[in-house]
Amino acid sequence: MDGIHDLGGREGFGKVEVDEPEEPFHAPWEARVRGLVNAMSRAPDWNLDWFRHCRELIEPSDYLSRPYFDQWVQTYCAMLVNSGYATVEEIASGKSTAVIEGLPAPTPAGAVKSARLGAKRYDSEIPESPAYTAGDAVRARAHGVSGHTRLPAYVRGRTGRITNHHGAHVLPDANAHGEKRHEHLYTVAFDAAELWAEAEGRRENVYLNLWESYLERT
Amino acid sequence: MTKHDSDTVAAIHHELHSHLPSEPALRTKALESLLVEKGMVDSATVDAWIEAYSEDIGPKNGARIVARFWVDAAFAGRLLEDAGEAIKELGYEHDHLIAVENTPQVHNIVVCTLCSCYPTPLLGMPPNWYKMAAYRARAVRDPRGVLDEFGVSLGPDVEIRIWDSTAEIRYIVIPQRPGGTEGWDEARLAGLVTRNAMIGTDRDLSAGIAGAD
Repeated sequence: MDGIHDLGGREGFGKVEVDEPEEPFHAPWEARVRGLVNAMSRAPDWNLDWFRHCRELIEPSDYLSRPYFDQWVQTYCAMLVNSGYATVEEIASGKSTAVIEGLPAPTPAGAVKSARLGAKRYDSEIPESPAYTAGDAVRARAHGVSGHTRLPAYVRGRTGRITNHHGAHVLPDANAHGEKRHEHLYTVAFDAAELWAEAEGRRENVYLNLWESYLERT
Repeated sequence: MTKHDSDTVAAIHHELHSHLPSEPALRTKALESLLVEKGMVDSATVDAWIEAYSEDIGPKNGARIVARFWVDAAFAGRLLEDAGEAIKELGYEHDHLIAVENTPQVHNIVVCTLCSCYPTPLLGMPPNWYKMAAYRARAVRDPRGVLDEFGVSLGPDVEIRIWDSTAEIRYIVIPQRPGGTEGWDEARLAGLVTRNAMIGTDRDLSAGIAGAD
């Protein structure tokens, strides 16, 4: 979707606030949100892409102004309401008026295994051969799509070159809307001057991971 | 069953916007209370995760990988070839991981323009600036300006490679080993590696040498 979240290349946000404490959380409630999200029961038809899409759908003024972990709270609240696990009134009051049947039990504290946090594969074998190989020139699709996608606006219609093929990965555009299928994923390099007029002559390249349906042959 | 419909969720966000308390801590408390009442979360598990993020999951993990890269050329080769496989030698797991190496002529910097994708298992919680609009908007367009704000000044001859994390692939930047560290053991070297260096917003690690002695 052409949403507020698609920030690459947008101007007017000012300087990066580089001075920040090294601690992982800057307020107790932030830590609480992070822990809560890892610990809670999840509906079997939720996934990372659906979460991302629900965050993109936060009201634009909230997206740009509310704290990051507060947006996670807002996003999970919306997901709970949308899936029928809670009402807006229950969330506002913190009091449950109905028990939910059929959800997986939450993980017990003893099952927390931080070392396994990064062990999750998103790729799979598919029968189709990849359409592109390293070195091929490709153009990113010019049009945006409604719904979730991971093709940022700043590369649409621009020409780059394939540097790597990563096998077939879960396609976010479908997965976010409840359909799990895999499609070939590539790294595509764009010369900065292809993206930004002022970058002419600069030694800069931007690399993105783009799915096959985001690309066309030049 | 979840209806994966954009307009429905946008309408729910609108309603939540008017009904939730404004204060983030209060919103968080209400959500946790509700999930506990519904049997959807055990608060002891929340505590366990907070402890894990505060103690086990942090940039010291990435720093160990960088230090091993510096002292063991064979490991360095394996890390560049298949980082997810190579880090298992150090007891870590991270699928779909790519290590990108800085050289005198190349500087790498990582961003997620669409959300906040980050190799959390290896680097811990992303800093706030990584998740905020200014960095996400500018890293791909004005990387030299962004680096300047972090105190990193690059000559025009140095190529910048900007990695926008648009899929489930995650990147770790391998900074250059600073001079004057010959003979240092891995643990001492790891102490020089900053979180920002592994994101690419820090480059010259020699500043840490005096402090590490």
